[in-house]
Amino acid sequence: MLPIIKITNLDKFFGRLQVLKKISLEIYPQEVVCIIGRSGAGKSTLLRCINYLEEPSCGDIEVDGVCISAGKKGKDLRELIHELRLRSGMVFQEFNLFPHMTVLENVMEGPVTVKKMDKASAVKIAEMNLERVGMIIKKDEYPNRISGGQKQRVAIARALAMEPKVMLFDEPTSALDPELIGEVLTVMKSLAREGTTMLVVTHEMEFACDVASRVIVIHDGELVEQGAPADLLNHPQNVHTQALLERYRAGKSPQVEA
Amino acid sequence: MVLLSKRSISIEPLSRKKSIARGVWITISISALSILLATILALLAALGRLSKFPPFYAICTFYVSLIRGTPLYLQIFFFFLALPQVGIILPGLWAGVLALGLNYGAYMSEIFRAGLSSVGKGQREAALAIGMTPGQTMSRIVIPQALRFAIPPTGNEFIAMLKDSALVSATGFVHELMWRATKVGRAQFHNLEALITAAVFYWVMTLVFSYFQGRLEARMSRGER
Ligand SMILES: Nc1ncnc2c1ncn2[C@@H]1O[C@H](COP(=O)(O)OP(=O)(O)O)[C@@H](O)[C@H]1O
Ligand SMILES: [Mg+2]
Repeated sequence: MLPIIKITNLDKFFGRLQVLKKISLEIYPQEVVCIIGRSGAGKSTLLRCINYLEEPSCGDIEVDGVCISAGKKGKDLRELIHELRLRSGMVFQEFNLFPHMTVLENVMEGPVTVKKMDKASAVKIAEMNLERVGMIIKKDEYPNRISGGQKQRVAIARALAMEPKVMLFDEPTSALDPELIGEVLTVMKSLAREGTTMLVVTHEMEFACDVASRVIVIHDGELVEQGAPADLLNHPQNVHTQALLERYRAGKSPQVEA
Repeated sequence: MVLLSKRSISIEPLSRKKSIARGVWITISISALSILLATILALLAALGRLSKFPPFYAICTFYVSLIRGTPLYLQIFFFFLALPQVGIILPGLWAGVLALGLNYGAYMSEIFRAGLSSVGKGQREAALAIGMTPGQTMSRIVIPQALRFAIPPTGNEFIAMLKDSALVSATGFVHELMWRATKVGRAQFHNLEALITAAVFYWVMTLVFSYFQGRLEARMSRGER
């Protein structure tokens, strides 16, 4: 089977600071891969390189057959980036819903503006995806009138409406009040059950344990360990994984430590 | 001289009011056209000053700096008196609109710049991530939010413009409200009445406009934050 995402020897520098070091990674169809690691490890940067919100310093990014090698330039690059972005959907920690559009308009925006779809079809797609995340009843509200958990579900629907090959989640529940985390995780679980390929940066160990087909540990920009959740979470081999899991077990958020 | 004026501008109180009222219409036209020009210039200048393209940045910065560094009064006379000397003769109204539009555009560019900067990086990234081009991201996501941010202060600029448009009367070429008030006053030796009439007109215009500004703001604030 061909991988949906294939990352080869990815390096990322911010100035002289190397944030990602020779990351290679393949994600296969219908896999749910959770990325864990302490704050500042480079998890967000890794995700953002996959849709070129950050430009890799070195290495290849391939999503569903569209491949970009670092250092490419010009008009060609712009088209490739566009193709790459069409193949992945991104969900941000801070939701980033468009505040001047209603819930429905937020989800329609991609199909209408990017895919040039006619309004009626876009409405249909938007409503279908709002249904999937249980937000159809709020379709005419503006984002400031709904809760954080609801915003994140709408953001998920917005990404799904573009029918991406893979969904990228960057700590989708980290900005939420504890009582709102559950509804978002429930939606993500149902997507996983439907066979959506997902790459999820998360601190929710229970989610990783229940839903992930694979867990990946990033430490200081390096991929230090990966494996099935049952093995990796119960029998971590790498010292950094052990330390990270110890912190979770102690109930401390690894985010406190920068 | 006085007689001539008396003939051209009638003595009856009703006509005096009529003459001044026609000035109101010209004042509103000048202000509306100027604010339209100013808005376009301000948006361009704001984009320019946030641009990473050096020539665009340089031109916009120069424009804003030059306009803000010279008096409006001088700028108005520049268009009415200096340009004709080099053979560029603009109809009075348009010279006034150009001068006011350029001037307000420079000041309002700060408002738009603040508006554009108020749109977070996350908004841009969310738009790019669903596949929008940088241009679409600008026009669909960033600018609408920046405009919403900029509308209240732009309304204030419009009110200021209604009053500053009186300055173009100084050139004597545009017969707007203030010009007419002074002319009528002088012709009839009723400066007090004429000026009070004009003041009332200005005041009423700003009140009416403030009312609509309030309604517009209420409408625009849907989905705020
Ligand atoms: N735009 C940037 N410019 C400079 N440094 C950055 C930038 N984005 C992230 N970094 C740095 O890169 C490192 C990894 O960041 P990030 O990928 O956000 O980590 P994580 O998501 O695992 O917490 C951190 O040290 C962070 O300070
Ligand atoms: Mg992060």
